[in-house]
Formats: sequence, C-alpha cells, structure tokens
Amino acid sequence: MITLDDVSKRYPNGTYALRDVDLHIEPGDFVFLVGSSGAGKSTLIRLLIREELASTGRVMVDGGDVSRLSRGNVSKLRRKIGVVFQDFKLLPTKTVAENVAFALIVTGHEGRVVREETDRVLSLVGLSQRRDHFPDQLSGGEQQRTAIARALVNRPRILIADEPTGNLDPVTSWEIIKLLTRVNELGTTMVMATHNAEIVNALRRRVVHLDHGRVVRDEREGLYAA
Amino acid sequence: MSAVHGFMRNPAMSIASTFTVTLMLTLFAFFMTADRGLQAAVAVLEGKVELALFIDDGAKVSDILALKSRIEADPAVARVDYVTKEQALQRLQDVAAKRPDFTLADISTNPLPASLEIKMAEARQAKTLAEQLRAEIGKGVVYDVIDNPQVVDQLLTITRVLSVGGIAILVMMLFVALFVIVNTIRIAVHARRDEIEIMKLVGASDWFVRWPFILEGMIVGTLGAVISLAVLFAAAGPVTSVMVDFLDVLPVSFGPQFAAELIGTVFGVALLVGAGGATLSVRAHLAK
Repeated sequence: MITLDDVSKRYPNGTYALRDVDLHIEPGDFVFLVGSSGAGKSTLIRLLIREELASTGRVMVDGGDVSRLSRGNVSKLRRKIGVVFQDFKLLPTKTVAENVAFALIVTGHEGRVVREETDRVLSLVGLSQRRDHFPDQLSGGEQQRTAIARALVNRPRILIADEPTGNLDPVTSWEIIKLLTRVNELGTTMVMATHNAEIVNALRRRVVHLDHGRVVRDEREGLYAA
Repeated sequence: MSAVHGFMRNPAMSIASTFTVTLMLTLFAFFMTADRGLQAAVAVLEGKVELALFIDDGAKVSDILALKSRIEADPAVARVDYVTKEQALQRLQDVAAKRPDFTLADISTNPLPASLEIKMAEARQAKTLAEQLRAEIGKGVVYDVIDNPQVVDQLLTITRVLSVGGIAILVMMLFVALFVIVNTIRIAVHARRDEIEIMKLVGASDWFVRWPFILEGMIVGTLGAVISLAVLFAAAGPVTSVMVDFLDVLPVSFGPQFAAELIGTVFGVALLVGAGGATLSVRAHLAK
C-alpha cells in the first residue's frame, strides 16, 4: 500500500528531515510512527500526501509513484488518503454535518450521495446527534471525531493521523483510538504519528521509530520505547 | 455564490479595484474611440488631398500627357486629371454663377493656366511627390506646384502620438489594474486560506479551488466594464460635438457596429484582466 524506497528529504538550508528511509506498509496495517519532535514523522506524512516531494528515493502510494503525479492526479491521490491532525482543522462557520459534507462537495459529489455518505460516517463516529452543532459547541473529542468523519467520507484506502490525541485528555484520547482501531478493522490502512506512549504500549501494533530522520527501529507488536 | 460573498467580504478593497478597472477601461475605450475617429478623419482627408500642377501655356500637349502618365504610375497616386485652360475658366464661371457677391470681369483672354490635378491614394506621400515635381519647374511644362498637405500631416502626427502615448498609458493602467485585482483577490484568498487548505487536503481539484476567485475577479472586471461603458455612452454626445468643433471637417459619428465592437472589446479586456489577476493571486496557494 505504501512503500518508501531509500527516501531522503533535504531542505534548502541543508538539514535532512529524512535520511535513507526504507519502509513498506501492507494494506490493512496499523503503524505507529514514533520519535521525538523533529525526528521526521511529519515530513514523512507530508511526503505521503505529496505536500512535499522527496529529494531522493521513491515514494509509492497505492501502486503509484507520487513524484510522478500530474497536478490533477495529486488531488485524486488525496481522495485515497484521509488525514487527521492534532488541531482538527475544522471550518468554524460550518456545522458538523457541513464540515463532513464539504469533503464530498469539493470532490464533485452532489445531493443524495452527499447526504447518504455524510449520515453514514456521522453514525460511524457516533456524532449523528451532534450533526447541526458548530465546532465551538463541541468537546475536543467530538471535534476530532468530526475530523475523522471528514477524513473517512471519501472512503479512503489509507488514514493518516498526525498526533490525533495531542490536544485531548486521556479518556477522550482512548475514545479516538478505539474509533481509529475500528476504522482499521474495517480495512483502512492506518498510519499514526504519536507521542502517546500509553496508547502505543497498550495496542501492541507495528512501531516505526524515527530518530534524526532515520528509521532506527521497526517492530511488529512493538512498544513506544525499545 | 462564494464569489459574490468574496466580493462583499471586503467591500472597500472590492470597490477600490472596481474603480481602478473602471478607470483603466474608460481610458481604453476613449483611446479606442479617438483612434477610430482619427483614422476615419485621415481616410476622408486622404481622399481629398490634391496636388495641382500648373502647366506652362507654351507646353506641348504630348509632353503634358507624358508627364501625366508618369505621375499616374506612382502607386501613391490615385488619379490624375488634366484640366485644360478652357475647363478651368468654365469652372471659375460656374463658381461665379453660384455666388452673387462674386462677379467676373469681362475677360477676352483666358488668364487661367491648364493644370494636372493629382488625387493621392496615400496622403503621407504627397509631400515627397510635390518635391519631385518641383524639380520639373522651368523645364517647359510645369510652372508651379501647389500642395497643401499640412492638415494631413498634423492629423497623422496626432494619430501617431495618440497611439504611441495611448498604448504606453494603457499598458501602465493595465499593470495598475492587474496589481489591484491581484491584491484584492489575494486578500480574499487569505481570508479563506483554511478552507483552501482543507479543500486541497481532501482532494479538491485545483480548478475547484480556483473557480470562485476567478469568478470574483471577473465580477470586478464586469462591474468596471459596465460602469465605464455607461460613463462613455453618457459622455459620447457632448464629446462628439466638441470633437466635431475642434477638427471641423471630421465626420466623427460611430455606427452601431462600432458600439458593438467597443462593448465587446471592453468586456473582453475586463474579463481577461479580472480572471488573469485572480489566477495570478491564487497560483501561490496552489503551488504545492
């Protein structure tokens, strides 16, 4: 599903964000990216959604080389990848349902499809009752679930979460993680960057540890720290 | 819809850019009209320009006709008429008959010379031709050359200054208008940067993101075009009469065909500038 082949990312000022990274993620995998701030987790995620291009090496997502995508195909790639952020990135002037529907509308869907798919993901994340609330009327966990619903509404093959629990209290964090594991069980490949050791250690999933841009550890059923 | 919202979101900036575009388009339309008027004037005057060659009374008809066909061979010349002494006198008598204040003295001899009247096809060549023909004076056929191309000369100068100066001013105005539109739309883009970021994140195509802003630019352009054309047509009457007074002979009146052309061109320029400016300002946000 995802393959990084000897990937390095060097910024114009000469620093390396990623160095010689080889990584292969199978469809349906659940992968934690761990490592201290600045280790390269966010850069890796930005390469996957082609917000940035690798300096050297090859990034393959769903069978295609992302560096070779035309402008039009970049948007198609992003429809295959749902992304969730620490700060939710919801539009404050839109309701929960509108925030979710937005992702369908801007990818060219209309009317009935938008309504049905929005209802589907809202019930999946348990927000059907809150559909007409605005983001500032929601708790942090509810906002993140809205963001997850939006990420899922285009039925992506991959869900990428960058510190999805970073702004949430422990109880709410667990709700979000449970939701993400369920999404993964339904077949979506999961890549999650996190600093939350408790969650990583409890779940015992694959752990990819980055340090100064290099993969220093890659374990099945790994722990947060070696 | 969101394009209209965008226009309303920052009314001061939108009005400022509409005003700038209006100004640019009004100037543009003015130059276009003035240029067209002067072209018509030049064309009319070119048809009227004549050189007259007065023929020496002693000249042989064969020499006169030879000279005539030589002049006719010049591509800048439209027509050459040979006016004999008798025809010249007849003309004078005709004119006199129509003017009661003008009586001819009884003349037994004909004092008028025969002449060649030259109609120019290209008025700007009249001077050169006159110079050439003056070289013939004193060789037995030509005794004087009368030319009066100053009017055309002046008109051509005005046209040239107007088109060079006009183009320079227009290019400057175009840049100003583009600059203002780019900045107006940039503010609109900035106000919606979160929305754009999310659009791109969930896989909206570039065009989907771009369209509302391009529409907004086109709204600015269209408003500018409407206002400037309204101003122009309101001013058309008074301006035309001033022009006619000023340039006297000129038939400066434009038919519906020119009006349609003007409206089409002004709207075309307006939409291009609006859409172009918007495209430029969105481009930075789509670069990734």
